[in-house]
Amino acid sequence: MKKIRSLFFKSGHILLSFIFLLCFSVVVTAKTKIVWWAETNADRDPVFQAKLVDVFNQSQNQIELVMEFKEGLNDILRTAMVAGEGPDIVETPGPSYVKEYQDAGLLKSMQQYSEKYGWKELLLPWSYSAGVFDGEFYSAPKTYETMILLYNKTLFEENGWRVPTNLSEFEALAAKIKAKGMHVFSYGSTGWQPTHEHLAGMYLNSVANPDNVYKALIGEKSWDSPEFVEAVELLRKHMVDEGYWSGSLENYYALGWDDFHAQFAKRGAAMMTIGTWTFQATENAFKDISDDWEWAPFPNLTMEGGNPSFLLALGTTLSINGQSKHPEEAAKVIDFIFKNKALVLDMANDFNFGEFVIPLKYTNSDFGANVNSKVRRYLIEFAQATGKGNYGYTTWTFWPAEPGVHIWKDMEVLWAGDITAKEYMEDHEKLWKKARRKKATLPVGKR
Amino acid sequence: MNIVSNKNSVAWFFILPAFLIHLVVVATPSILSLALCLTDWNGFGKINFIGFENFNELFDDRVFKKAIVHNIIWTVIFLTIPIALSLTCAYLLTGIRRGQLIFRLVFFFPYMLASIISCQIWKYIFHPLHGIGVWLSNNGIELFEKSPFAVKDISLYAVALVDGWHFWGFLVVIYITGMYQVDHSMYEAADLEGATKFQKFRFITLPMIRPIFIFTLMIIIIWSIPTFDYIYILTQGGPAYSSEVLATHLYSQAFDRFNVGYSSAIGTLMFFYVLIIVSIFGLLQKIGWEI
Repeated sequence: MKKIRSLFFKSGHILLSFIFLLCFSVVVTAKTKIVWWAETNADRDPVFQAKLVDVFNQSQNQIELVMEFKEGLNDILRTAMVAGEGPDIVETPGPSYVKEYQDAGLLKSMQQYSEKYGWKELLLPWSYSAGVFDGEFYSAPKTYETMILLYNKTLFEENGWRVPTNLSEFEALAAKIKAKGMHVFSYGSTGWQPTHEHLAGMYLNSVANPDNVYKALIGEKSWDSPEFVEAVELLRKHMVDEGYWSGSLENYYALGWDDFHAQFAKRGAAMMTIGTWTFQATENAFKDISDDWEWAPFPNLTMEGGNPSFLLALGTTLSINGQSKHPEEAAKVIDFIFKNKALVLDMANDFNFGEFVIPLKYTNSDFGANVNSKVRRYLIEFAQATGKGNYGYTTWTFWPAEPGVHIWKDMEVLWAGDITAKEYMEDHEKLWKKARRKKATLPVGKR
Repeated sequence: MNIVSNKNSVAWFFILPAFLIHLVVVATPSILSLALCLTDWNGFGKINFIGFENFNELFDDRVFKKAIVHNIIWTVIFLTIPIALSLTCAYLLTGIRRGQLIFRLVFFFPYMLASIISCQIWKYIFHPLHGIGVWLSNNGIELFEKSPFAVKDISLYAVALVDGWHFWGFLVVIYITGMYQVDHSMYEAADLEGATKFQKFRFITLPMIRPIFIFTLMIIIIWSIPTFDYIYILTQGGPAYSSEVLATHLYSQAFDRFNVGYSSAIGTLMFFYVLIIVSIFGLLQKIGWEI
């Protein structure tokens, strides 16, 4: 009996000790959990998990990064943030959303972290400036992009065509392409009306000149000035009268992502006007065919011509939730990304540089041999051209909400012939004045 | 406590969960929305009271006026074509004994489909590269070369066609249920009198299903106001606002332009419109109409 009692107490003692050690080890090794909500994408999610989340978590013992992939992130995020909840790292579709969150006091300023970790020196200047609100750094760029002209290189070589450098060459090339029974450009807006702003932004900058666009953005020029009216009227002429995009306005409205990529690959159209987010899709479309594709910056559309500009655009941004209990740790996650060029480039390469193209100061030697040569050329030329001041402005990065929506939503009214280009730009100017009165304009770095 | 009041208490007890959910999810946000229409809230930050400024702006908003007209057109379309079609088919179906269930299933099937699927089907039917227009063109018939959803003059009607195709089967099932409740002896008597099929429909079937018929009129008028999904998926209110309705305009104001206060004003006007409709039907019921 004594032996049994002794055995019982010894076992209990061992069990209790084991439980105590287990609890102690959990307490000692407990990591700070940082949650990041990201927009879900079936192809990209596993890459983010494996190459960012897992790598970060294995690189240190203090922070556990958890990335949650959400459908319709924008709406879920806004609801959570307004309710005082939400993730530690806030991913938004761009500066116009950051502005709303920042105005509402829902974001934490990252100025102290930027100064501590030297982010200003790591990022391209224009991308850093786009995240400065009321003098403080609130949003870090997660991906940058630009609008380009894609063309069928094989087709161009067969016909002796060249990428145009001014308006008359542009229209002459279009006529030749149409004479061959092809569409000039493949593109479409079905399911995504904001597609129109891609074209609007390209024409405003290429016709009216980025310097004038800059002046209008900062209020030194009116949007109903003749150069802007001329730009949208030219777009109207090319879209409606000439049917440059997919043959007609109605076709442009009816075609979607898969349609216009297929049309481009099958020589239904000679060129495509689109953003750099399409690199992966274009590469896939041309994968099994003998034709090759190439890209060029969208040409200067004045009669005199000139250097084409790359339009500055931020695809998504990262900020820290004002309600986050661990902003320091959240900042460390962002810092890890900015200080790991190799990791960023490896992931961006997986997406063919259509996503997670963080605007760090890359050099030629940063790119491995596995980077697509066309994409490498884009990254280097973009950095060089924008470094020299050859850049313009996309509407979704630099326009406040109301004028930003007017640009694409009311473009259809212009194209339908219900209003003139002048009336369209006068309405646009009114909305800009309203945005300025409400202090709703977005940061534009000094040119 | 008597049996009747006991039964009432039990009934309330069972209704309570649904009532609470309705209160939290529907009623409370609706009431808050009525308050938001007097503010300039952008959906994120401070809420500032601005009185009736949103309503003043609404009455100058040409897109809002266009949307009202489109909603009226939508209501007229749905009060005529689907009703006429479904009444006719339901009446004809009552005369079919074998295979009637198959017909009912076929007519009702589109109603079971999610709106996104219905829209994708019709988008591809009218696709400019792969759709019926291409096939017809290859056979020498120039029709539907352009997708009707992309043509400004007919986009609203094209979307109404898709939504009508989805909806009419639901009306068939409702009407046929009502028609089966008509006393058969009335048809026998009519047969003896030598009444034609149309006369039986006109003088027996229609009057006898009047309560159901009026009910469907009411729900069509009410449901025509918040109509959203088919338009949003197929045309997003375009081209050039030619298919814009109140619900899509409200959505665009709230979620694209961050004018939540302004969009709440649109929602408030929609609410009062529906309230008036329901009140009219309530009044008709009070004066003895069988609704």
